[in-house]
Amino acid sequence: MFDLIVFLSLLALGYAAGTWAEKRHYRSIADREMAMLNLPAITMKGADVPTHQIRSAQMVYGNAVISVDYFKRLLASLRNIFGGHVKSYESLIDRARREALLRMKAQAGNATMIVNVRIETSAIGKQSKRKNIGCLEAVAYGTALVVEE
Amino acid sequence: MKFTARHPRTNVNVSPTHPLKEFAILAGGLLAIAIAVYLALGLAVDLIVPHISMGLEKKLAGAFLDRFAKNDRPDQTTQALQSLVDRLQDQCTRLPYPITIHVQESDAVNAAALPGGHMVVFSGLLAQMRSENELAFVLAHELGHYAHRDHLRGLGRALVLMAASTVLLGADNGVSDMIGQGMVLTELSFSRKQETRADEFALKTLYCHYGHVAGAAAFFSELPENSDPGRIGHYFASHPETHRRIRRLEALTRDRQYPVGELTQLPTALVVADPNR
Repeated sequence: MFDLIVFLSLLALGYAAGTWAEKRHYRSIADREMAMLNLPAITMKGADVPTHQIRSAQMVYGNAVISVDYFKRLLASLRNIFGGHVKSYESLIDRARREALLRMKAQAGNATMIVNVRIETSAIGKQSKRKNIGCLEAVAYGTALVVEE
Repeated sequence: MKFTARHPRTNVNVSPTHPLKEFAILAGGLLAIAIAVYLALGLAVDLIVPHISMGLEKKLAGAFLDRFAKNDRPDQTTQALQSLVDRLQDQCTRLPYPITIHVQESDAVNAAALPGGHMVVFSGLLAQMRSENELAFVLAHELGHYAHRDHLRGLGRALVLMAASTVLLGADNGVSDMIGQGMVLTELSFSRKQETRADEFALKTLYCHYGHVAGAAAFFSELPENSDPGRIGHYFASHPETHRRIRRLEALTRDRQYPVGELTQLPTALVVADPNR
């Protein structure tokens, strides 16, 4: 009985805190994306800019680690039984990638553009002592160019 | 072409399904499957019972024992009953269980066979006994339930649930205890066929032990006259069709030509000072 109460409390806490954190994060992401809209980050290896106009080229990167909450993990483990899209993890990956991109852009400062952008993800603490500490890391990196007008 | 930065207003990477809705569907589906399996197992309990090992049964018994631990005082009554059962066991029935007797204060004129060889005799039953043969018959009847493992069948779905929780969560877990405590002993129900088989077993045991079957039907035939229905209600609720059973016992006695001899006195420890007598 005690176990059940603990379980339900964790579930409720996970859902409430997880949803609140996610909403807040998405609001923040949307705001910053709008603010940094004029710093293009592209996956092409170079831009169509004459070489003599490039004043500096520097590697920039940003990473973000997002944790799974108790509710999402339960939802995912239920998905593990039935199969299908693990929808509860989709938003985690999305948030991690966008946050990493935003941090990369923040590191780029007053650059004109970031080229050759790559995003990589990895799971952290996947199987530590059988307890799944589900954390997802996304790292975004690229080359920030400052172009003379 | 001039590059114009635009923010994609929609997010294609996250499914729009509400997480609570998904949870309801998944958890509901799982629960439905679990309930279906549970119901099916409940129906299949007769198939499962022969496969429950003595070891698992002993573990299951743990859930029931708590409530008797405090009532259990190895006094003279319990010892006398225990020695009677031991004698029946040694000489006749030889069940692979060590049978432990527990006496519980209750008006119920009944005895119950619990998992793990724990036999509960209610004090109301002892008050009705007039001879050792009669008592031996009732005890042998319960031994018959053990012999046929009816005591496990009687638990029905609760047994399936407890067996599952014992296997999955270990012997001493809250779930099994909860189920065990929640069960009412007098609700253990046996089918007509199981009762008849247990009666036959008891009659055979009685003949084996005393060399005759006097006192077998005495218990049943005495009850309706000298007891008020309130006190015997329990016994008849779980042991219906008393008259049919008496006739059956008498027929068996005739068919197998069991002799009827002298009744043996109750051991002094079991004679209850009863104002109704």
